[in-house]
Amino acid sequence: MEALETFVVESAVPDEAEAYRSIVADVISELMLGGAIGRIRIVLRPEDSLFQMAILLRGSQPPVRLVDVASLGYGVMERKEVKISIREEKYLPKLLEKLWARYGRGQVLQPERNTLIVRQDQDPEKEIISLESMLIADPKESLQSRLIEMAIRSTPEGFRVRYHAMKENSFIFVASEDTLKPEWIQQAHQMLAELQEVQ
Amino acid sequence: MAAVLEPYIYEGGIHKHTLITELLEDMGGYLIQKIPAATEVTLIMLIPKKDVPLIQELGTKLLGKLTSAPLTGTEIAVVSPTLAAHHLPHSACDVAEHLRRDGANTNMIGLARGMGRRVALSADYERRLINEHDIALFSFGTFADCIKNKKPKLFEGIDIPIIATGGPDLRTEDVPNADVYVGNIGRVAHRLRKSEELSSLDIMNQKVAEVVGLMREDMSKDPLSVLPPRVMKEIYEQIPQIEQVLTPAPVTLQLDGLRVKLPYAEFHKKVEDLEFDEGTRLIELARVLPSKMKNYILIKIKRESEVGFAI
Repeated sequence: MEALETFVVESAVPDEAEAYRSIVADVISELMLGGAIGRIRIVLRPEDSLFQMAILLRGSQPPVRLVDVASLGYGVMERKEVKISIREEKYLPKLLEKLWARYGRGQVLQPERNTLIVRQDQDPEKEIISLESMLIADPKESLQSRLIEMAIRSTPEGFRVRYHAMKENSFIFVASEDTLKPEWIQQAHQMLAELQEVQ
Repeated sequence: MAAVLEPYIYEGGIHKHTLITELLEDMGGYLIQKIPAATEVTLIMLIPKKDVPLIQELGTKLLGKLTSAPLTGTEIAVVSPTLAAHHLPHSACDVAEHLRRDGANTNMIGLARGMGRRVALSADYERRLINEHDIALFSFGTFADCIKNKKPKLFEGIDIPIIATGGPDLRTEDVPNADVYVGNIGRVAHRLRKSEELSSLDIMNQKVAEVVGLMREDMSKDPLSVLPPRVMKEIYEQIPQIEQVLTPAPVTLQLDGLRVKLPYAEFHKKVEDLEFDEGTRLIELARVLPSKMKNYILIKIKRESEVGFAI
């Protein structure tokens, strides 16, 4: 599936659908969701105060572990130090947070930009093995929160009664100003099924 | 009766710009607002009609630019249904900025509960705050159905001229109770900088200027007993504390009054006692009221028919 291979916004008035498509496109690019969404379909019925959206996601990236972004080695042996050399700097803040939580702030040193020294008193070899599998970031988690943010931003603001369903690779969102009718939610599920059928 | 004053904006270097303000003072014009920005300065002023070429000439000599600013001396409320990311900052802020380019002073007002169709409403306090302005501009969204049938509810209780902006291309008659409707400025999530977006903002400025023109014409039938810029000048001369006010426009002009950004309790006596060369005090010519905006002072000038004379 290509990124945004289907991107449809439907409304009774074509001009308004086009204008709304531009709003959604702006929101998607602002939240950097362009690469994550495969197909998206939105149906708007302002006269019923109704907003329906179905999204099919592309395969999400696997969780990032420490060994993926850094190489681990020994520091000063007699002090049982572990040395971490980071290759991808963007994960540094998250990594530091995790290390601080595990060892305490005073035990984690950063002698230079891409090197961290961890002072600890366990067997360094075992510690390195357990550190290697440490979970640094989960793109799926941040993707979910960005998707929700996108849904809220692209819905007309007054539509505060909301329904959402999030599965492995799909997302359904229905919003209205009034009580949601069961058939509206069903229609949204139907929309998703149609998106999935497209080859 | 005072000379006919024409509103202009001068944009140029800060070097020697005082020559312009001095000349303006000599001619009996008024400097409404001075906005210095690093080495540039923007002067918003009212120039006596027959002396405009003189300022023009000096401005050219100083390599500045003098442009007509038809909205000078007006205070416009730019009302957005709420303060959420759905309505702000784009479109509403761009609208306000574009109005300022023609000399208007704008205040952004975000309603507390203006969102939605059935549930949209405005509070009494908000309506009163909006009514303190000369014109209210409501910035609406994409759907014709909402703008035609639902959102005009927000106009209830607004006594000043109402301008509505929105996405669809509607006729003014289709929007109940709006004095002017301007299309193609709907909800967007980016800055308005494409040429068609900017041209709809230009159209909006034109239409707002037409409304202001009509209001001025209407007022000329029963003129104000004193011109607001003259009151402003007296405030600067007689209340030195105004120099310590840090807002961009410590005294904001309106078509029929002024907003003075000093605390009401402390300063309203001083404002009421402002004395003019003719020997009259301001309280004889105007109502000095507490403003709904912070604790500012609002001056509404009485008409000639009410006072019996004009200075």
